[in-house]
Amino acid sequence: MKTLVKHLKNEVKKHAFDYLLFITAGVVFLMGLNLFRGERLLEFIILLSFVSFYIIWGIYHHIIEDNLHLKIVLEYILIGFAVLFLIKVLIFPF
Amino acid sequence: MKQIIDTVHHFFVPRHTNNFNAKLLHHDFLTIYLIVAILFGAGIKHMQQTGNILGYATDVTVQKLYELTNIERGRNNINNLNYNEELAEAARRKAEDMFAQDYWAHYGPKGETPWQFILASGYQYEYAGENLAKNFMFSDGVMKAWLDSTTHRDNLLRKEYADVGFAVVNGVLNGEETTLVVQMFGKPLYANDTVAAETPKTETVVAQKPIVSEVLAYDATPQNSSFFGTYLNINIVFFAILMIALMLDFYFAAKLNLIRVRGKNLIHFMFIGFIAIGAFIIIQGSIT
Repeated sequence: MKTLVKHLKNEVKKHAFDYLLFITAGVVFLMGLNLFRGERLLEFIILLSFVSFYIIWGIYHHIIEDNLHLKIVLEYILIGFAVLFLIKVLIFPF
Repeated sequence: MKQIIDTVHHFFVPRHTNNFNAKLLHHDFLTIYLIVAILFGAGIKHMQQTGNILGYATDVTVQKLYELTNIERGRNNINNLNYNEELAEAARRKAEDMFAQDYWAHYGPKGETPWQFILASGYQYEYAGENLAKNFMFSDGVMKAWLDSTTHRDNLLRKEYADVGFAVVNGVLNGEETTLVVQMFGKPLYANDTVAAETPKTETVVAQKPIVSEVLAYDATPQNSSFFGTYLNINIVFFAILMIALMLDFYFAAKLNLIRVRGKNLIHFMFIGFIAIGAFIIIQGSIT
């Protein structure tokens, strides 16, 4: 557990701005959903925006780290879209 | 036993058998998740079209709403309400009118009032009230949202009411597939067969803020009522497994000082966390 915490701390400290940016986007995402509850199209647009931001964040972060690889981009896209399609059913249950 | 542990390790922990990446996070597995998610969506749509699942794809039922209403009134030591078919008919007509004229409010664009629908159904009231909801996923969510709103709560717990009727109706509102819930309360005029000597006092109550949330259709059948509950549970389990795999992979990669070409587990973890919280907001519906 000590190793985990130490590694987490190092990771966050090293890329404080990137993680802060992502957390801010996450909070805005939740606030947006809360604000437009029941408005299905808006909920979907907010979800799609957050998924897009997550993929762009991944690409940007790995460019900064100078280790961008097609496999990494694919990883973000696969996770992002799998989650998008799962949640889409909850937004548009028809 | 050793084989089981080995398999679990293979799926969750980076080691030589999985090229030092938890197998559940490999690209082939991530592709499977995506395909399964797409198939889920397409499958549900197909089943709705073929009639295996009703078009009303949420888990709100009149029966459950009625039970919850009386449970809440019971908790507050207020009389139980009788289910009234005339009020249910009024609620149904109100919902159909909202779809026909494309509005979502207590009062229609041409000045229609909720009381017109009640009177048109043949229910002569002394007291009447209305609560509205749309796009809720579960009956509990509708009730919670109403109880969280002071005006709706007051309406729900008014001791003057004797009857209640519900309608859960599916249609297109503002170009979107929508399910509306209408709850109509009433106390009949000349209740207990007493004849009023004077002009009866008529009081109408409307919750000031209608509620928004996800709901199911009026004639929903029981076999569908748990479908979206199950779907939600599948999502929770999937997200939980993925988050455990990410955390274990992150932990062991740090412990073994692994350098790998892959995305950031911490950000995947945070992303799924935000999405999971977001999913709960989506199914809660809203109050306006």
